[in-house]
Amino acid sequence: MTTVASSGSVQFTDRLLAPAWTPSRVWRVLFAVSGAGTLGLVAAIAYTVSTGIGVWGNNIPVAWAYAIINFVWWIGIGHAGTFISAFLLLFHQRWRSSVNRVAEAMTLFALVNAGLFPLLHLGRPWFFYWLIPYPSRMGVWPQFKSALPWDAAAVATYFTVSLLFWYLGLVPDLAAARDRAPGRTRRRVYGVFALGWRGSGRQWHQYRVAYLILAGLAAPLVISVHSIVSLDFAISQLPGWHSTIFPPYFVVGAIYSGFAMVLLLVIPLRRVFRLEDIIAERHLDNMAKLLLAMAWMLIYSYIVETFMAWYSGNAYERYTYLIDRPFGPYGWIFWGMLTANVVVPQLFWWRRMRVSPPVLFVASLLILAGMWTERFIIIVTSLNRGFLPSSWHFYAPTWVDWSILFGSVAFFFLLFFLFLRFVPMVAISELRAQRHDADTAAAPEVAAP
Amino acid sequence: MTNDPRRWWRDLDEALDTPEFREALAREFPAGAAALPEGLTRRSFVRLLGASIALAGIGGCFERPRERILPYVSDQPESTPGLGRHYATSMTLGGYATGLLVESHAGRPTKIEGNPDHPASLGAAGVYEQGSILQLYDPQRARGARIGRAGTGWPDVAALLSPERLEPVVGRRGTGLRLLLEPSASPLVAELLGRVGERYPEAQAHFYSPLDSRESDHASVAAFGRALRPLYSFRSADVVLALDADFLAGLPFSLRYARDFADRRRIAAPTDAMNRLYVVEPGLSVTGGIADHRLRARAVDVEPLARAVLRGVLAIRGGHVLPPAVASAVGDGEPAETPHRGWIEALARDLAAHAGRTIVIAGERQPARVHLIAHLLNAALGNVGRTVRYIDAPILEAGAPSHDLPALIAAMRGGAVRALVVFDGNPLYAAPADLDIAAAFRRVPRTVYLGLYENETARACGTFVPALHYLEAWADGCACDGTASLVQPLLAPLYGGKTEAELMAALLGQPDAAAHALLQDLWRGRLTGSDFAGAWDEALQRGVIAGTAAPDVAPAWRWGDVGSVLEDRPAAREAGLEVVLDQDARVYDGRFANNPWLQELPDPITKLTWGNAALLSPATAAHLGVTAGDLVDLNRGGLTVRVAAFLLPGHGDDSVSLRLGYGRGQGGEAVAEGVGANAYRLLESGMSHFGGLVVSIARGAGGAPLRERLASTQSHWRLEGRPIAMRAALDEYRRNPAFAASENGRVLSLYEPPAGGGDQWAMVIDLATCTGCSACVVACQAENNIPVVGKQGVLDGREMQWLRIDRYFEGNIENPAVLMQPMLCQHCEKAPCEYVCPVSATLHSPDGLNEMVYNRCIGTRFCSNNCPYKVRRFNWFDYNAEIAETERMVKNPDVTVRGRGVMEKCTFCVQRIREAQIAAGIEGAATREVRTACQQACPTRAITFGSLNDTGSDLVRRRAEPRRYAALHELGTEPRVQYLAGITNPNPAMPNDDGGE
Repeated sequence: MTTVASSGSVQFTDRLLAPAWTPSRVWRVLFAVSGAGTLGLVAAIAYTVSTGIGVWGNNIPVAWAYAIINFVWWIGIGHAGTFISAFLLLFHQRWRSSVNRVAEAMTLFALVNAGLFPLLHLGRPWFFYWLIPYPSRMGVWPQFKSALPWDAAAVATYFTVSLLFWYLGLVPDLAAARDRAPGRTRRRVYGVFALGWRGSGRQWHQYRVAYLILAGLAAPLVISVHSIVSLDFAISQLPGWHSTIFPPYFVVGAIYSGFAMVLLLVIPLRRVFRLEDIIAERHLDNMAKLLLAMAWMLIYSYIVETFMAWYSGNAYERYTYLIDRPFGPYGWIFWGMLTANVVVPQLFWWRRMRVSPPVLFVASLLILAGMWTERFIIIVTSLNRGFLPSSWHFYAPTWVDWSILFGSVAFFFLLFFLFLRFVPMVAISELRAQRHDADTAAAPEVAAP
Repeated sequence: MTNDPRRWWRDLDEALDTPEFREALAREFPAGAAALPEGLTRRSFVRLLGASIALAGIGGCFERPRERILPYVSDQPESTPGLGRHYATSMTLGGYATGLLVESHAGRPTKIEGNPDHPASLGAAGVYEQGSILQLYDPQRARGARIGRAGTGWPDVAALLSPERLEPVVGRRGTGLRLLLEPSASPLVAELLGRVGERYPEAQAHFYSPLDSRESDHASVAAFGRALRPLYSFRSADVVLALDADFLAGLPFSLRYARDFADRRRIAAPTDAMNRLYVVEPGLSVTGGIADHRLRARAVDVEPLARAVLRGVLAIRGGHVLPPAVASAVGDGEPAETPHRGWIEALARDLAAHAGRTIVIAGERQPARVHLIAHLLNAALGNVGRTVRYIDAPILEAGAPSHDLPALIAAMRGGAVRALVVFDGNPLYAAPADLDIAAAFRRVPRTVYLGLYENETARACGTFVPALHYLEAWADGCACDGTASLVQPLLAPLYGGKTEAELMAALLGQPDAAAHALLQDLWRGRLTGSDFAGAWDEALQRGVIAGTAAPDVAPAWRWGDVGSVLEDRPAAREAGLEVVLDQDARVYDGRFANNPWLQELPDPITKLTWGNAALLSPATAAHLGVTAGDLVDLNRGGLTVRVAAFLLPGHGDDSVSLRLGYGRGQGGEAVAEGVGANAYRLLESGMSHFGGLVVSIARGAGGAPLRERLASTQSHWRLEGRPIAMRAALDEYRRNPAFAASENGRVLSLYEPPAGGGDQWAMVIDLATCTGCSACVVACQAENNIPVVGKQGVLDGREMQWLRIDRYFEGNIENPAVLMQPMLCQHCEKAPCEYVCPVSATLHSPDGLNEMVYNRCIGTRFCSNNCPYKVRRFNWFDYNAEIAETERMVKNPDVTVRGRGVMEKCTFCVQRIREAQIAAGIEGAATREVRTACQQACPTRAITFGSLNDTGSDLVRRRAEPRRYAALHELGTEPRVQYLAGITNPNPAMPNDDGGE
């Protein structure tokens, strides 16, 4: 049983749990729409797998396009959740508690989406398991000098750790739901998922230790996973790909796009569920500051990349960075990318911008689109104009490519709406602990957590 | 499986007659095909792969010929399953035969090579020869004879042609009988035509080929009183002048000429001498691409230029080389007619300086006067008997206008023709537009067509007999130099069918005469020696009949006639656009339009596939306001063709080139249907280039130009300053042999170079002798079962050929240097593709090959991304899912047919390497020489392949040349394929501005 709590605490808990059992028409509509989009995704995937990668726009030389762009984009988005959960925890940033549940959920769903693409882009996806090091009867293991088995390991690890981390944090809240839910069925279901949490001191102590360990495991993943994904490109020898700044460049970009996604999700959420006091202005302010910081690290990466290409004197590097990307056939995408990634975040120098939900929302959309186009520019322009001019060929996506991209967004929201519907969307136990600390600080004689 | 031709014929008949039925055919496809995306419609896939559902497949029911055929090497009494055998035969094109060796697996032919013993091939096989094997297995070939619309059998048709039934129609002496053939040099055809002529003395044979202008024969008759053909010995020539003559790729003897020319062009050291080539042409041909000096001139302007050259040569050599009357008929200097005076003077001086070691060759389409001028130039330069020799034209009735097509059409229109037998060709499609051949055909009561397809001509003829492909027929032929060779079949006729000889025998009242018997009867009398059987076997086995080369003829000049022809000058050329109708490098005159390999082969110069385009120079296009891809209407005196425009750097100004052979209509050739525009609509009898062209941009409603996407495999022709295809002039090479050193030499590396004992395979490609003819590309496609992707596939950038010829233009856009670079998997010692494959599907073999393991590939395509040469190809769909039964038979059983989702690339013909190594292992000897398919096909022997450890081999010797370099050397890939930089031999006295480098 929970400790005796003040009636204010119980109300607080009930308020935060309420969305889980309050039916909503708006939710049904949104769920149906994302469901339809997901069906479209499934159809496009089935079409691709049954007919061949040829239904996409890929060609030789542009053998990687939307699938890999989407893969990198989704994984990048997922990094914010882990950053908030792990990094901010280790740095004792308590403001994380208002958004970390949503962010961690977002990470999981982004990873589920991301995980689709390495399988889907294979010419023979039914053999995807050859990327996994299992003792095969053929006596052949994956070729470990290639970055793709590293990807498999990294993404699998990341997903596992993120899932555990999210779930562990959920357990006390699921227990609260079990205790407060109306209806026996609900209480039973939440009871199963609450794993018998009693809230005893010993359990809390174990919880804390486990949580910190997982945070310690997850934190390096923020750096390593997207560094490994960036190595998919950096280990090659294409101009525009094999740049040593790629690992930090990608990590920064990932956190950048991830925070944009968190903001995108959180801003409507706080309005709809009236969580403006939980997810307060200062939280938005902090996230916007992080966005600005990440943007500047990204700008630094752009500058270093381009400078090194020029400084190297290598004709191919110079052509890619100084001529093809800005002025080639995809130049308009390049300049759009710079506008979204470089110009838009400069708004956040001003506090008024940082705490204005409409500005944050629109800026986040632009940043997400900008980060997608950044991956497009990296992947497609380096492939489409390589070393031998005779092999240059234009790339254009097909309707299947677009269906899969938008379908994956729909799938993401499908999972997210399910999450909103059934799972406590803020970290109730952490917030209550913080409120308790605040009260205790005000009134020192009340016992500690 | 029933072989009832009647049943099949009715289906095909319906298919031809009702588009709806054909639509239904296409809809009967399995579900997977329904899922093809926009652009690659089911229809085009059907068309492309020629699947024919209504017609039951052959089911692998092919048989060996009943008569005895002999392999090229008969050391094995029995055939070993799994090992191919080569059989000698020959292919006739343009009337002349080229000897070939055809590899046969399990009794069916799969690959065509050249016959090293045949003078027209010397081991090389060109684009047409390599592609012809697919035509054998074309599922759209006609399968049954018919009379009217009713399918029937040979006996009925033969009865119709028998003298009993024919005489009442054409008269006892055959007054109303005409035969229309393609130009032929076949002794058997000549013999049988003679016998038909005896049986029907007033019957007449006519010969027509759209590419054979007969102008050279007319010139020869005027000059020498008889039809003589010049033969050129390029191996002895220091300086060559080609007047609109694409002798390296476009002539029947081009394989031989290319070999001989390359032998004088190839140098082993900077101090060696090489020949020099001057080309005058309206377009940009393969020969023009490799020229040291190229002058762009409209086709109608070649004659005054040729005259000016002759004048120049006469001025230097002195007037005594030609009779004074002729010399004066050539004309005196008229500056107004010689805008390229400096160029011509330098050329004339060069020719004169090398008198007796030069060649002047005029192109087929040039008028007779230009041929005459070429003969005179060769005479004036003392080339006759040295580099130029004359033989009696092997072609039947050469130079006789009464045997031409216009004479036949006139007779038909006049009602004099009561029965017409057409032997192959496609006159209803390819006849000059002004002759109105369709109307003429309607006036003939009885028409018979012997053809491979139910094409335009078949539909206009009352009776149809399916023809035999040369790979399933007994026949004979003569090469350009008169050498006779036999044609032996490699398998029994797939669909039944008859040869020309058998049809002629039916006319003689012998419907059961088999071609084999007819052939033997003929050669029994001609093969020397008492042992006919032995000589016959020898002829079959070697593919050449020894001692049949035509003897030299000393030309007896008729100076009077020459003078009068020369004096008869045409009116001054009007300025303005001209249109030039060219032979196509892939479909020839349209006969190969149903061959998907050839449709998908990129044109050597334009790199266009699946269609033709109006080729314009950038200056002319700018002048007309035309941009690439615009649909333009080419209009000449009421004749119009609408076709997309293509801007070609190096093309002549005020000249529009259009390739013949496209724009085929509805018919039995579904692959060819609707591909490209029909240039024959602009053809007028006599010539293939015409002035007075009007070009207008086709516009849609609203005034916007109509456009069409042209499927090209290479959209960028600039080198962008990258040292990938390198070339230098000879004197620069002599001054600085190491000019290619930046792309050569050691690259710093952390790793040791791989140790290599035993065979270490490598290749050298000589860019000085590569003409870009693309025979190697088709050879590779045939050898390695490379699929065809169709026009939409090429538009999407998914062509599958493992070997491509990159064509770069360098220098000024008006008259650029043309660099051809065959690009294939470089088999890098430090391959970037190998370390990025996540499943080890691409590995390195101990003998230096970069190997591709299809079964292991899961299709991540990382290897393609990391390949800097972009030579890897991916199976985006299952391209072999729905190919016809017969098309399966062309697949080489030694090479895996790849499924969907795997990468593929050049393997250095690993199947041939392993076969040689296995044979060597069995014999306990060193590996025999291995020749890759591309190397074997190349007429100029630009590709050399072998083992690096085979000291003394050609490979090792050529790799030691100072001009050797590696493409993208600085990347450190250490490719096993190295290039020898191109070397040109410009004339130092040539002025810079006019034409030339």
